[in-house]
Amino acid sequence: MRYFEDIEVGEVWDLGQREVDEAEIVEFATKYDPQPFHIDAVAAVESFFGGLIASGWHTSAIMMGLLAGSIKSQKLDAQGAPGVDQCRWLVPVRPGDVLHGRATVLAIRPSNTRPMGLVTLRTEVFNQGDAKVAQMQGTGMYGCRPATKVGDGA
Amino acid sequence: MTYLEDIVVGAKRSFGHYEVTAAEIIDYGKLYDDQPFHTDPEAAKDSVFGGLIASGWHTCAMFMRMACDAQDPDHGLAGLGSPGFDDLKWLMPVRPGDILSAQTKVLSATPSRSKHDRGTVRIQIRIFNQKDEAVLEMISMGRYLRRPAEATAET
Repeated sequence: MRYFEDIEVGEVWDLGQREVDEAEIVEFATKYDPQPFHIDAVAAVESFFGGLIASGWHTSAIMMGLLAGSIKSQKLDAQGAPGVDQCRWLVPVRPGDVLHGRATVLAIRPSNTRPMGLVTLRTEVFNQGDAKVAQMQGTGMYGCRPATKVGDGA
Repeated sequence: MTYLEDIVVGAKRSFGHYEVTAAEIIDYGKLYDDQPFHTDPEAAKDSVFGGLIASGWHTCAMFMRMACDAQDPDHGLAGLGSPGFDDLKWLMPVRPGDILSAQTKVLSATPSRSKHDRGTVRIQIRIFNQKDEAVLEMISMGRYLRRPAEATAET
């Protein structure tokens, strides 16, 4: 297990990659963002975007998916998040895109009231052409290393 | 077609009725936010949340669905899409059985300095549960085209 105390400012987490296909774009948007340029490949050609694009909320979901994968592989004790200061959808995500991401630790601060700490991350997601498709800056909570009794393990 | 000039600063709306189920929370969590308190009801009991909660991003997605459903079909939700959002706060966990609704208020509608055919609208969004507790707030942005000049000359 990796705890709050193990996280350092300036660390960069490689978030791995994930391919996005047309079926997933349409499925997500049918549930959560049923606008023509997200759910109808034919109508989308006539739209401002010139073709089917993923909902920004889908792009954010994929970003979170990549981040959650990193949290799991690092065995980080993540305990939720109070919010996101800023999120920008910079370039549309299109069917067949292969997205990859990285998260950079910008700041760390222990909680005054609970055995956890706040970690501010800048998370960036890029497509296969290395164009940045989305960026967000937000804060998450991570558990502190459990206190050990004096004498333990000595 | 809704143009930037049609957006009324200060306008408020209330809409939506979204029933949150454990199955949907788990489905979303497995695909996009694979952490025990979003995907495993038993493990979630031992988490800081004391039970299953929706991914905060899932709550955002549920808001988007309510906004789409409340939209006049003749009007684009935001003609040119959205560049993003600011100051998102997940104020309270969203749990199975919650019923969500939304309130919005237009904060500004500003023409772009560099692209004269469009502008950006900023909207304050708040989502409430069935106990009228605010569970989420954020400031969302949308891009709209400006009304073409020749249209105003017609009588």
